[in-house]
Amino acid sequence: MKAATAPAVAAFHVTKKFPGVIANEDVTFDVRVGEVHALLGENGAGKTTLSNILTGLYRPDEGWMEVAGIAVDFQSPRDAIHAGIGMVHQHFRLIPTFSVAENIALGTGHDPVGGRFDLKMIEERVVEISESFDLPVDPRAKIWQLSVGEQQRVEIIKVLYRDARVLIFDEPTAVLSPLESERLGATLQTMARSGRSIVFISHKLGEVASIADRVTVLRHGRSVQTTSENDVSALASLMVGRDVESVTRSSRAIAESSSRVGAVVLEIENLHAVGDRGLKALEGVSLDVRSGEIVGVAGVAGNGQRELVEILAGLRRAGSGSIRVEGESLENGSTRHPIRLGVSYVPQDRMGTGLAPDLTIAENMALKNFRRPPVARPPFIRQSVIDAQGRDLMEQFDVRAPSETTPTRRLSGGNVQKVLLAREMSGDPRVLVIASPSQGLDVGAVATVHRLLIDAAESGVGVLLVSEDLDEVLALSNRIAVMYEGRILDTFDRADADAQRIGLLMGGQLDVSA
Amino acid sequence: MSRFGFRLEPRSYLPKWLPWAVPVGSFLAALLVGAIVLFATGQNALSVYGRILDRAFLSEGAFTGTLISATPLLFTGLCAAVAFRIGFFNIGGEGQFVMGAIFGSGIALKLGVDAPGIVSVAAMVVFGAVGGGLWGLIPGILKARFRTNEIITSLMLNYVAAVIATYLIFDSNSFWRELTGSGAVFPKGKILPTGSWWPNLDFGSIVVPFGFVLGMVIAAWLYVLQRKTRFGFEMRVVGGAPTTARYAGMKPARIVVAVAALSGALAGIGGAADIGNFRHVLDPKGLQQSGFGYAGIVVAALARLNPVAVVFVAVLLGGITNAGYALRGPDFPSGLVGVLQGLILFCTLGGEVLARYRITRSVRTPMNASALESA
Amino acid sequence: MGSQPSNTRRRLRFAGVAAVAVLAVVSLVATACSKSSSSGSSGGTIKAAWIYVGPVNDGGWTQAHDAGRKYVETKLGAKVKTTYKENVPEGPEVAQVINDLIKDGNTVIFATSYGFKDAMQAAATANPKVKFEMATGDSITLGQKVASNYNEFYGAGEDALYVTGIAAGKATKNNTIGVSAPFAIPEVIRGINAFTLGAQSVNPAAKVNVVWTKTWFDPAVERKSAESLVAAGADVIFSHQDSPSAGEVAKANNLPWFGYDSDQSGSYASVWQTAGTYNWGPFELSELNKVIDGTWKQNNYYGTIADNFAGLAPYGSTVAAGTKTLMDAEITKAKAGKADAFGWYWGLADRQDQDGKTVITKGQTLTMKDLYTMSYFVKGTTGSPKG
Repeated sequence: MKAATAPAVAAFHVTKKFPGVIANEDVTFDVRVGEVHALLGENGAGKTTLSNILTGLYRPDEGWMEVAGIAVDFQSPRDAIHAGIGMVHQHFRLIPTFSVAENIALGTGHDPVGGRFDLKMIEERVVEISESFDLPVDPRAKIWQLSVGEQQRVEIIKVLYRDARVLIFDEPTAVLSPLESERLGATLQTMARSGRSIVFISHKLGEVASIADRVTVLRHGRSVQTTSENDVSALASLMVGRDVESVTRSSRAIAESSSRVGAVVLEIENLHAVGDRGLKALEGVSLDVRSGEIVGVAGVAGNGQRELVEILAGLRRAGSGSIRVEGESLENGSTRHPIRLGVSYVPQDRMGTGLAPDLTIAENMALKNFRRPPVARPPFIRQSVIDAQGRDLMEQFDVRAPSETTPTRRLSGGNVQKVLLAREMSGDPRVLVIASPSQGLDVGAVATVHRLLIDAAESGVGVLLVSEDLDEVLALSNRIAVMYEGRILDTFDRADADAQRIGLLMGGQLDVSA
Repeated sequence: MSRFGFRLEPRSYLPKWLPWAVPVGSFLAALLVGAIVLFATGQNALSVYGRILDRAFLSEGAFTGTLISATPLLFTGLCAAVAFRIGFFNIGGEGQFVMGAIFGSGIALKLGVDAPGIVSVAAMVVFGAVGGGLWGLIPGILKARFRTNEIITSLMLNYVAAVIATYLIFDSNSFWRELTGSGAVFPKGKILPTGSWWPNLDFGSIVVPFGFVLGMVIAAWLYVLQRKTRFGFEMRVVGGAPTTARYAGMKPARIVVAVAALSGALAGIGGAADIGNFRHVLDPKGLQQSGFGYAGIVVAALARLNPVAVVFVAVLLGGITNAGYALRGPDFPSGLVGVLQGLILFCTLGGEVLARYRITRSVRTPMNASALESA
Repeated sequence: MGSQPSNTRRRLRFAGVAAVAVLAVVSLVATACSKSSSSGSSGGTIKAAWIYVGPVNDGGWTQAHDAGRKYVETKLGAKVKTTYKENVPEGPEVAQVINDLIKDGNTVIFATSYGFKDAMQAAATANPKVKFEMATGDSITLGQKVASNYNEFYGAGEDALYVTGIAAGKATKNNTIGVSAPFAIPEVIRGINAFTLGAQSVNPAAKVNVVWTKTWFDPAVERKSAESLVAAGADVIFSHQDSPSAGEVAKANNLPWFGYDSDQSGSYASVWQTAGTYNWGPFELSELNKVIDGTWKQNNYYGTIADNFAGLAPYGSTVAAGTKTLMDAEITKAKAGKADAFGWYWGLADRQDQDGKTVITKGQTLTMKDLYTMSYFVKGTTGSPKG
């Protein structure tokens, strides 16, 4: 047999068309036995379609695949599993009330002893797998008791339990903390060393460069190149098809803009609030944002940032304290009042909070001004005005979609963010509150979003930028506040900011007085 | 599925012809499958379908009968459609219909014989809406306030409404009950004064009940409300994305309560129409037997929650119901009528799958699975 | 879904297209077979139809009516063609069903539920050539105006219950008989009174306890009511209901049980006594014969035990031989009686109501109107006649 030399899995000239869209065109790549192979590409580059073909969900229109040197034609995901290809999905497919072992045994179709699963045997197997690949998880725990990272481990064990030789990971780090991501990288390499092959789908250059042995770059549905390059900027150029410079404001530009900063537009004073679980989330937060400046709030997720922005948007009630917008007090817990006072808000959960996925782009863009003329002619709304406004904003903000009547659920992550920014930045806002603006976006889209934020500040808007990404905060902000356990530990002018000190503050390593 | 040489693949794109071709195709498929069932049970499918068409639409007075059957379905269909649109699963149309019938008949009896017909009919519409609306408001408020599951609460209220109606006629000397004449022999409601009987619009060969016309007007109004008004815009946002609605300054709880009441009011007007136009008496047993509220959910589903389509579906199902009475007999059990009606529903919902997935032919190439596993 | 206005327009268009397509297909079918359908009576055959409120196999009311239809069919053979519509709701649908039947050429229509009455009367006025037979109707008795081609018929179910009461009076040991009954309406009240009088005729100390279930058919409620009767000391159970669930309770407690409307001896042999039943066929046969020879006219018929309209289900094996003799003797006496043979027992003595007020004097003959509006319980009955 030629199994020893043949690639674990390979695709040759694969083309997959959907009406009006070519998702994959002439894609060729191979994954060697024992390697971590990354599929790198921007959103919409065809990564997901390709992985769906590899796992038997779609059939290619043209081209073929080989597993261990033998041509295969998967009729269903079951065939792919049979051929040793397993997928770890981005969205877990686990039953919350079942135990880890039960979830793993589900669908394997074997182990029924006397009409029941031999749970003990399964549990032993699970422990064995989790020990050999450093995937610690209690086989008897119920899924709902597990953290997101642990649930992902269950998904991985599920695939390994079925003896998959090729494991496909679809954006596995999207749900993980940086520490967990690092640990996952090590696990992937362990698995590769044990003779398995890993396909790692991502648009994050850094992790691709550090984890993958080889990288196949996809662009506009085509496979551009397979390379063992691990230089981030080289990969970025391959992915985007041109040289990208991340948008950063030089310290001079920031200093210059700081000198043009105007009056205070947002005053947060001694704000207290409790979080979802009834624990204190904010303990006396005070912060000012002035017209024309970007104030960055740095901090590790879960230190009160979410509660802070939700209170500003009226989605959550403050316990005590005050918020003033250009001097006027904000009604506690009203979502309509901030809109009236010109507080724009781009939430972190863009699809779930910021947009109505089934409504069109134009309708989503009208979500905040449909009550007033010219969109409204009470009690009616004018669809033609909504559509015209949508067309204008799409052009102005470079939203790429077939038309303004396309449902937003069909948009890619970058375009979703652009729709949101288009809505929130039109209509003359005084304050723009934005949470994790670049999360989940590819480099091209990140640059656009950053450009728009700078534009907003330069046009006189006070921007409150909340982000876990310290580099982003440093790149854009005039001033930086560090949040830890519901308090602002310290605030720096950009010129005085020291990344190391901020990093330590974010980890709660320094007390306020230091 | 692969064994049959076909497989389902999720569609990423909807061809333009699909949204209307699927329901039509489904309906034709239902007729075809129905023909097979009929053949298997020894019926002549052609003559059965011919008879359905004849007795539902063509023969003298048939279309009038169909409109009579369609009128309550029209209202309960609108009731379900408007509520389901915003994700409020009101299956209490049955009870709201009954409460509308109680309130509507109550006001007509109260106004008595001296009130001008137009006053009585208008009052019946208003009171029917109030009765059904209040009954719809309860699960709405419970959901908005306490996050109670509206499916359960609205369903339970159906039984409460049925018990109230039975109590009024069978169990008490209520205002609604006729105690003299034949009412002393067998419990029955008071006949409404003839002045309050809803008119029928006579177009020669076809007589259209006023209730049906009212339903059509309301359907058109609902269409405008949903598509053209600020409130309708808010309804659409709340229906698909309640968190986003709140974020955009809307008050989803209030909208849910308002729509729950509106939904109930629609069924309530239906109840008033049923009594005002056809029964002319509060008849708990007859109302219970008909089950218009539940049939309305089917109407709304087939109409894909579009109020204008509800009108057409109500007429279609009304026709099938009407013709169903013509079909049943010694050699045509009433259950078989139900089977035919069920097939139409089943095929239409099955067609929805085809709208979301496409069928692709697959050619199976031999594959040596064991060799792969050893790789 | 539904977010674009064009979507709705498209759906509207779909509805239109769908309607046209369906009509086109079905009209093809219709023309293909139009010859086979409809057309009225042919030759010497008359077409008669029955409208039922329940399914023909309900084991009770509707099944008994369908037995009548089959009886007519057997007796008249080729001279009649019968049909029926089952599960017809009481409401505007009835008018449609009647119209359908007339279109199909039926010239005699029997309707078997009280709730069909208004539609029958309206149809009678609109279709003078068709005969309308309304079972359980009361309009003629109450002197209301009806068309002359409209008739009403029912039977003295209470006569059978009087005879049934004899068996109950004999069967009880502690003189407490439990009755589970649906609604406090004259039809039920007079039946219970007759039952009580029958029991007292052989056992003057017998007391009858009435519990209202407030339902015609609800096995769970009927069972509960029977259980409560047993708990209150009844050692004989009579359920004036459509389901046999009281029989289950009787069987569990091994107490004699009387049913209503149908023969349940098969499943409850150990406790079964008998039941009052109606025999619709012979009357319906005679009506059709009159239609055939042209002598039919409105007659407001009230059948009795004497002409076999009201009768008893077969006696159970546990009914004492002496009791059977007593019952048969009473039936024979009724059959040998006067022409207006119903209700021979009411006037056998002065009768008091529950408050001791005399409501029937000895020798009095009750009119149908008296029976149709009876709203008191006779002495010896516990429970309220108001429900």
